[in-house]
Amino acid sequence: MTFWLTVAGMVAVTFGSRLAGLSLQRPLPEAALRFLHFVPIAVFAALVAPSLAGFQGEGEARIAAAALAALAAWRTRQLWVAIAVGMAVFWLLRIPF
Amino acid sequence: MTGATFLRGFRAMAPLWLGVVPFGVAYAVVARAAGLSALETQALSLLVFAGSAQFSAAGLFGRGAGGAEIVVTTFLLNVRHVLYGLALAPSIRLPWRRRLAAAFLLTDEAFGVVASSRERSFPFLLGCELSLFVTWNISTAAGVALGAAIPDPVQLGVDFVFPLAFLALLVPLLRTRVELAVAVSAGGASWLVSRVEPGGIPIVVAGVLGAALGALLTREQPPPPAVDPESARREVA
Repeated sequence: MTFWLTVAGMVAVTFGSRLAGLSLQRPLPEAALRFLHFVPIAVFAALVAPSLAGFQGEGEARIAAAALAALAAWRTRQLWVAIAVGMAVFWLLRIPF
Repeated sequence: MTGATFLRGFRAMAPLWLGVVPFGVAYAVVARAAGLSALETQALSLLVFAGSAQFSAAGLFGRGAGGAEIVVTTFLLNVRHVLYGLALAPSIRLPWRRRLAAAFLLTDEAFGVVASSRERSFPFLLGCELSLFVTWNISTAAGVALGAAIPDPVQLGVDFVFPLAFLALLVPLLRTRVELAVAVSAGGASWLVSRVEPGGIPIVVAGVLGAALGALLTREQPPPPAVDPESARREVA
């Protein structure tokens, strides 16, 4: 139930934003434009950081894998390549020697 | 005539399908790994239809975040759509009912293609929008099917796909020193807050603080262009 209520809220704010732009007639203030530009950057970074710590004390493997995935993302700009590189490194480092 | 214009819009998006499909598949795999059911995963694609917000919501559901935090994060990520509507409205006259349809299906990609083309009409816009909607939902369904084929997600460490996916979404956005500083600060703030408060609060706090920091550091510069078809086309639904 909580899930569907959350979805209703997500639909409301998303559809609301899309409809507001098509219906409003005046542009947004410059400060709002600057703020919006940085929202995806801040939110994505905020989602990455806590997940790197991980559980079962494998934080080092996660950070190493994430670093190489970031490098792959930077070079290729491909979501899939970055995920594949990161998972491959992560799995390799988790093999007990 | 109207049908032909619609089809032209539908086909104008075809070059973007190649980027949308892996993104939709990845979203579905991430959402399933976060514990959403197949129906819930698909419902987000059908009802919310906003890639980065769906990714974040999946990540937040997986972290046990509350509904309010997920809705606030969705709002922060999607309020940029106001800009697209503002840019399109003067050149495409939309009566009430058409406006509802155009708004429900509006995305970065559809905006990018329409804004950079000479065609400005409701059928063309709707063709572009539906083209992405259909592709996004088919690839979500494909990802759900693929996710079901992964035997033991936790044992395999599939939860690690979350930070990797967000990292891959984040890295191409970092082009200036301020953008890098915002990412590092938001990441640090979120990590610190998550020590004392798990769930979605750290993401909302760090998201707002990070974006405010970026706005503050660039207050002397001209605002980023609201209409940047090239980057809108590159970014995610």
